[in-house]
Amino acid sequence: MSFAVGLVAVIVFALLAPALQLMARARAWALGPVILLAIAAVVSHGLGVMLGIFAVPQFQYWNAASIFGFCVMAYVFAFGAVYKSVSLDILRGLVDRPGRRAPVLEIAERQVPDLFRGRIGNLVDGGLVEPVDSHFRATAAGRNMAGRIGRLRRAFGIGDTGLYDFSD
Amino acid sequence: MNMLPGPAQAAAIGLSIAFPLLLLCYARIAATGGSGRRFRLACVSVVVFFAIACIALPGQRHVDDVLGGLLLLATAMMFCYILFSLLAWGFTVTLLTALVKIGRPLTLDQWAAAYMQGGDLGTFAHNRLKLLISSGLVVTADGRLAPTAKGVAVAQLVKLVRLSTGLR
Repeated sequence: MSFAVGLVAVIVFALLAPALQLMARARAWALGPVILLAIAAVVSHGLGVMLGIFAVPQFQYWNAASIFGFCVMAYVFAFGAVYKSVSLDILRGLVDRPGRRAPVLEIAERQVPDLFRGRIGNLVDGGLVEPVDSHFRATAAGRNMAGRIGRLRRAFGIGDTGLYDFSD
Repeated sequence: MNMLPGPAQAAAIGLSIAFPLLLLCYARIAATGGSGRRFRLACVSVVVFFAIACIALPGQRHVDDVLGGLLLLATAMMFCYILFSLLAWGFTVTLLTALVKIGRPLTLDQWAAAYMQGGDLGTFAHNRLKLLISSGLVVTADGRLAPTAKGVAVAQLVKLVRLSTGLR
């Protein structure tokens, strides 16, 4: 029964999370998509626990939490993949074209530079980078974040190219 | 309500906490290979440790306890993968670190060259395309890209996920 309570909380999350994203866009809330996902997760988990306490005599918290955590994380994983994946953006752009075909050169010379400019816009909006005339420079917050990322990459033995290593 | 995890769930919680530490340890061992291979190795290791714990822990195992443990472990792996992949392959994150590494304001073209460490955005585009091609999602013929049936299905799935998660 505790697993079922966890699943009920997952359903609440799956309804609440997109509703919050749509409301945030419609009402121009200043909250990012990840914060909204976190709010949806906390609220639905809380509701699930309350349901378990009142509806299940021998409510096993960790049984409910395990299925809830797994499904929510799978949701976040899928959300992250479709939200910012460059590869999936390229694939989606390709499928949406008439005839579903495009020259490789056009993808490399038009679509990818557009994605590049979009991400720079995100960095500027996030206050991590600022435009100076026709140039861009990192703000103090950007330098701090880059420093933290660099330390984490070194600790985990991750390179700084951001490219997929196909010899892997 | 019972807040205490079962023995297998407790082992899974412990292994979930140890998982990033295991990644840190594997980063010190050159033979563990690149980032992707090292992450997969850490996943296999914790699953093996979990199986050993399920056998070695005293007392009878209950299905709900083991199932809950497996779900908790999978949740931790997905959570770590989201963060790890951002560090290793994150486009926006690497744009920021590339700008900070150069240490002076850059134009868009200079930034692209700094990001690609001497290459250009075409190299980045080909790296991402290689992922789509090796996954069997797109094919190239006569310098043109076309999605495979699998690629079209994935693109439709991506659209469905975007719609159901409240993204445009």
